Amino acid sequence: MSMLPLDKNDGGGRYPGFSTLAQAHSWDQATAGVVLGRIGPPPEIRFFTPQEEAGAAALLDQLLGQHAEPRVPVVNFVDSRLAEKQTDGWRYEDLPEDGEAWRKTLAALDHSAEELYFQPFAECPESEQAALLQSIQDLGNSTWQGMRASRVWGLWTRYAATAFYSHPWAWDEIGFGGPAYPRGYKNLGIDRRESFEVADASPGEDPLEAGPAALSQTDRKNA
Amino acid sequence: MSGVRSRNESAWLLPPGPGGNHKLRERMRRFDDADEVDIAVVGCGAGGSTVLQRLARAGWRAVGFDAGPFWDPEQDWVSDEAGSHHLYWNEPRVIAGDNPVPLGSNNSGRGVGGSMVHYAGYTPRFHPSDFRTFTADGVGADWPIEYEDLKPYYEAIEEELPVAGDTWPWGDPHSYPHRPHPVSGNGELFLRGAYACGIQAKVGPVAISNGRFGNRPHCIYRGFCLQGCKVNAKASPLITHVPDALAHGAEIRADSMVTRIDFDEQTGRATGVHYVQGGRERFQRARIVAIAGYSIETPRLLLNSTSARFPDGMCNDFDQVGRYLMVQGAPQTAGRFDAEVRMWKAPPPEVSTEEFYETDPSKPYKRGFSVQTVSPLPITWAEHVAAQGYWGADFRRYMSDYAHWACLGALCEFLPLEGNRVTLAEEKDRHGIPVARFSYSQCDNDRQLLEAAQSVMEKILKAAGADEVITIKRYAHLVGGARMATDEKHGVVDGSCRTFAVPNLYITDGSVLPTQGSANPALTIMAVAARAAERLAK
Repeated sequence: MSMLPLDKNDGGGRYPGFSTLAQAHSWDQATAGVVLGRIGPPPEIRFFTPQEEAGAAALLDQLLGQHAEPRVPVVNFVDSRLAEKQTDGWRYEDLPEDGEAWRKTLAALDHSAEELYFQPFAECPESEQAALLQSIQDLGNSTWQGMRASRVWGLWTRYAATAFYSHPWAWDEIGFGGPAYPRGYKNLGIDRRESFEVADASPGEDPLEAGPAALSQTDRKNA
Repeated sequence: MSGVRSRNESAWLLPPGPGGNHKLRERMRRFDDADEVDIAVVGCGAGGSTVLQRLARAGWRAVGFDAGPFWDPEQDWVSDEAGSHHLYWNEPRVIAGDNPVPLGSNNSGRGVGGSMVHYAGYTPRFHPSDFRTFTADGVGADWPIEYEDLKPYYEAIEEELPVAGDTWPWGDPHSYPHRPHPVSGNGELFLRGAYACGIQAKVGPVAISNGRFGNRPHCIYRGFCLQGCKVNAKASPLITHVPDALAHGAEIRADSMVTRIDFDEQTGRATGVHYVQGGRERFQRARIVAIAGYSIETPRLLLNSTSARFPDGMCNDFDQVGRYLMVQGAPQTAGRFDAEVRMWKAPPPEVSTEEFYETDPSKPYKRGFSVQTVSPLPITWAEHVAAQGYWGADFRRYMSDYAHWACLGALCEFLPLEGNRVTLAEEKDRHGIPVARFSYSQCDNDRQLLEAAQSVMEKILKAAGADEVITIKRYAHLVGGARMATDEKHGVVDGSCRTFAVPNLYITDGSVLPTQGSANPALTIMAVAARAAERLAK
């Protein structure tokens, strides 16, 4: 079971008792070193200013639906990448390098929040934060604060998803077994599991038929 | 297979089991900068390593340069997605155009072995039709060589990797040295869906040995092919060509960034390469230089190598350098099944079809696409899901369903267009060298292929029983940018990879390809390089 709080209606609890970390004894040293490094105290914030840190944390919590402890320390992971200039090896011509792009877009997010709700993004109630983000996503290829909205959205979600799904707790939530060397897999094929894998407790839980939250997503997409 | 060992002993030079041959590296021959070596090869990926191995075998004094490390798979690679970021070229680059192409992760490499360190492992041949698309269909370009010119090199490299797969019915029908691998849930669903639609699909072709090959072990189906194969089962030049090159006296100078090709105005010849190692600027003399930096860095190096003779960049007399750069449209379509697919188990490359590869006269578009299994790990899958617009609670719920999804990917033959090219940006890297700016825009034919490929993938997944399908539009692979042609007004190199402008300068990587087919390019890049090397050695 994942350490992360996630309601059953939001996909929580699908792999009862499953833990990738319980398999750490079967990982090679190089991999264990890298993956276990994500479990201890997160790296100190080095890149973001305090104001940027607050905005980034609120933004990343929204994007990843992290609303209670314990959390994957995504803001620290993103900050580390930016401090170390660990970019993906490209930038759009109309956006600066990733580090500068994060600063610029976080400032723009606060600016938007001030305009709409008269306070910085991080100080807004979660419902207002969500509404603002949805309005940015809905702009698609149109301009938001002088930037193409889809590219800003892509920058945020790219860093968010990479940080979150690098964490063993997130793997537990989705049934992914994590590192697989030198062990490998023996039981390939449909509905076949290794001894350490756990069956999905809600196999029919097709996300599109999942209930009110999914419907609201569809509504939003149609809006 | 005994024939392979006599021409390329790499698999027998590795230790039995995982890891690299440390003794081979310790005992590696080392040349002095002042020695005029026979050849300096810039880049140790698919093209560069093949050239190095072939010419070292021919007795040449050969040095290969790579900007990245000389990998030790046991220590340097991990069975983890985010932890494999260092396998890519992460130096700054600028992307532009109507359809900018993200670089880095899936289309660049850095370090000995190049991008084949983290490619999926698919190694299909090009079809004979790929070499004359202009004559046949009025699109793309004709190569100055034919399929038959490359065929013996395809066969040789397929044995050296070695490639496993079913007998191949498409293009020039052929068989593979290793039998097909067993398939996982994802491959099983592709085969089932294709069969139900009357589409022929086959297992392979993948450069993953099926059974022991030399000292290389059998695949353990751990699914982390794209993070570098720690097992030594999946082929990359690091284990298929570099060991043999070193054993025959080649040197590999890793962590050495070549910044400029030196040119002698009097003789009109290249005299060696300027490079930076550990912060120090150095110069290696060479009788011949071969550039193999792939489609972004090769044009960048030429454009940055200016002189009185070449004010606009080396070999750029007719403004051909950097042009006709291609990417394949690579939409990924996933299907949802109530059963658990667990697509992350087993190598992502399993099953493919080339039934839609050729021009279909009944369709409004030219050329075609292939369809293959791709099995994204969580971070890549999250990108696929986020591209549907999900975020927050909806995103987490969708992701929790990961085990139930199967995923196919298409490779669409986007056409080579003059305006799709590399130029130099204002921005400079930490060595003070201008970085590449890559501008890319699709044409109508490209967009039609994307649509067609998506509908075929949806059909296959639905026929296999999927109740929902979702698609993400993305790109894969790079080729072109310094293409081969019949003359200097239409390309940068001739059919033997020799530049038109400088008689002792060669380009031996994917940037010389004039078209790309719907095939993953690694095998063809190696075959083209092997052919160029053989002609050089004569």
